[in-house]
Amino acid sequence: MECERVRDEALQGDKLDVLYGEADAAARARVDTHLEACAACREELQALRSLRRDLGHWRVPVARPSFTPRGFVVPHWLAAAALVLLAFGATLGISGYLSLRRALAAQEARAAELERQQRESLGAIQASLARTPVSASDAQALVARVEAGLDERFKASEALQAERLDRHFASWQERAEVRRRVDMAQVAASLSYLDGRHGEQLARTNELMGYVLQASQKR
Amino acid sequence: MGRSDEELVGACQAGEASAFDVLVGRWEDRIRGAAYRFLGSEDEARDVAQEAFLKAYRGLSGFKQEARFSSWLYQIATNLCRDRLRRRKTRPQVSLEALEETGPVIVEMRPGAHERLLERDLAEAVRRAIHTLPEEQREVVILKEYQELTFLEIAQALDVPVSTVKTRLYRGLVQLRLRLETEGVRGSAPVAVPAP
Repeated sequence: MECERVRDEALQGDKLDVLYGEADAAARARVDTHLEACAACREELQALRSLRRDLGHWRVPVARPSFTPRGFVVPHWLAAAALVLLAFGATLGISGYLSLRRALAAQEARAAELERQQRESLGAIQASLARTPVSASDAQALVARVEAGLDERFKASEALQAERLDRHFASWQERAEVRRRVDMAQVAASLSYLDGRHGEQLARTNELMGYVLQASQKR
Repeated sequence: MGRSDEELVGACQAGEASAFDVLVGRWEDRIRGAAYRFLGSEDEARDVAQEAFLKAYRGLSGFKQEARFSSWLYQIATNLCRDRLRRRKTRPQVSLEALEETGPVIVEMRPGAHERLLERDLAEAVRRAIHTLPEEQREVVILKEYQELTFLEIAQALDVPVSTVKTRLYRGLVQLRLRLETEGVRGSAPVAVPAP
């Protein structure tokens, strides 16, 4: 079945206006009147609506705006800064390790000196005990002194351990922070590499746009 | 409420360069979308969008606002796409994206995979059908169907009468129905072909 007005461009135009929602009241009335009498045009309009639904399935890929760089592009100065940071971190790590070793050696020397003094003091106590008979009260006082001395040594030892732990922890924190910054710089550099030439091209385009805008403003 | 295109164009012409940034932000995606549909390549579409805005910026001082800014912008972008299509005819090239689109499809059989495959087939059939249209019909179909310009705006963008736009669109739609029906795409119904 074919519409007898199949070559009527005015009717086609009206039908398109209806199809795309641009028809005024007069055009809609003309189309409605025609459709009441013409099954072919009714069918065609229906098919065109269906076609438009099919056409809607072709979509544009989602992309980031072209006037902003895609992804994170690392500027040259940032890459240089990352290298400097890497060298600084390495230097910091080595010097930190050396200073820690020196501090530990000093601590060990102090502990050895303390132990030597304790041995001398114990030796003196033992010698005095051997020379003179000890009364019960003297013995209690001696035990109390020895206990107090031992308490003091324990506390000194605990303080030494705590100090060592603090130094270890501070050193570890320092190295972890340096490592984290270096890793961040490497990740940024990798992202920039992955972003590839588009990032550079777009950055150049941005630069070009900047020149154009500046030139225009100067004029 | 933001400023209208016309107000922004006026501000640009008065020397407020930042107003053009607003116009770029407002129209960039749509211009890029139109160029992608004309050319079938994301990279080229991005280049065309950038060129179109550069040209628009350079020509802004001579823009009289007799037509809408968007129509003018589409006119620039359409002309750039036409140039690229002409260059392609003299120097044929195959884009990687085209190869990807026609390449083998790896199907992951998760829930909904079949539907996604059908959807992709349908989208691909529509893309192919539109690219078989003569250039003048393809332009009108894309500008009307996907860019949702009015008939008057398309007429201004292509510098042809509204009646010509409608004729091209009608013929284009008829051809698309024929093509999709041939490919067995759902929703297409038998077509009464008008005389050329």
